[in-house]
Amino acid sequence: MDRKTRPGEYMHIMEGFLPWQWCLIWWLVALPCLIYGVYQLKKVLAADREALPLLGVTGGFIFLLSSLKLPNPVGTCSHPTGTGLSAICFGPWITAVICTIVLLFQSLMLAHGGLSTLGANIVSMGIVGPFVGYMVYRLLKDSTINIYLTVFLVTALADLSTYVITSFQLALGSIHPVSGDMGSAFIIYLGIFAIPQISIAILEGIVLSLVFKYIIVLKPEILIRLNIFSEEKVCTSRDET
Amino acid sequence: MAFRYKLEILALVTIIAFCIIFFYTNSTMNGADFTGTDTIVAAKISESAGSSERNISPLIPQWVPPSGEIESTLFALQAAAGGFLIGIVFGYWIGQKKQNS
Repeated sequence: MDRKTRPGEYMHIMEGFLPWQWCLIWWLVALPCLIYGVYQLKKVLAADREALPLLGVTGGFIFLLSSLKLPNPVGTCSHPTGTGLSAICFGPWITAVICTIVLLFQSLMLAHGGLSTLGANIVSMGIVGPFVGYMVYRLLKDSTINIYLTVFLVTALADLSTYVITSFQLALGSIHPVSGDMGSAFIIYLGIFAIPQISIAILEGIVLSLVFKYIIVLKPEILIRLNIFSEEKVCTSRDET
Repeated sequence: MAFRYKLEILALVTIIAFCIIFFYTNSTMNGADFTGTDTIVAAKISESAGSSERNISPLIPQWVPPSGEIESTLFALQAAAGGFLIGIVFGYWIGQKKQNS
């Protein structure tokens, strides 16, 4: 098989690097979530057409941010995920559907991640990352913590946990173990993927909470109507900034 | 009224700090070539398997962009699609807001 190798060719889990059994397992985990996501998406859009622009803007940031490969302090590059905003506004299942579109484009057109490993990549970037973010959001939604700090924590943690899960997936089963036992393989992968990602996650968190400010300024009604944040909280945040 | 642009300033400072860290790493760290983290993982896995990355064959055949130029075009296209969506929605909202007030 003719396979060119250039620096920076790969993103996500690369085609051919997971054995077929694991590819199958991750696909089986991803599919029900996607089906539920499509069902939820239909429901949300049928209930309120004004949700569509919000979906456009949150999805737009996934498209935009996941194409930017940023340098980190240890001298490597990886990309932010941008999934946090969508996780806050629409939950992890709809986010998984948007991520699938992005990941499919990248595996078909860019050879970044393959079709066999797409299931695994959907699980890390589209499902578990946004799910962790969504849990943080649910925890902080009705607390006294202000909206911007909530958005920062959600987006940064959705980003970071994506890379933790990727490390976990590779440690569980790649075509060849990098270490004798799974635990130390996990730590090796964490050191490459997750630790350097911290600075990128912080940057992403701050930029996306700024973006959220503009959503609050321009279209606070939609956040209240979709019950994303309480009216009281949206109003205080609007007055604060 | 409190100062209105706290978040903007914070974001700007973070971006500048991020750039400074990048320039610092780039100029002081030997061997920092800013390859993708997944490239490093790919190399590590093939190394432990005792073969070169070229020998790892894809499970499903895959089209690979023939050059870095084609690849960057497609990446720019993805970013442009995202930017287009964001711009059109914020524009729509600004229009709505103007009409309502």
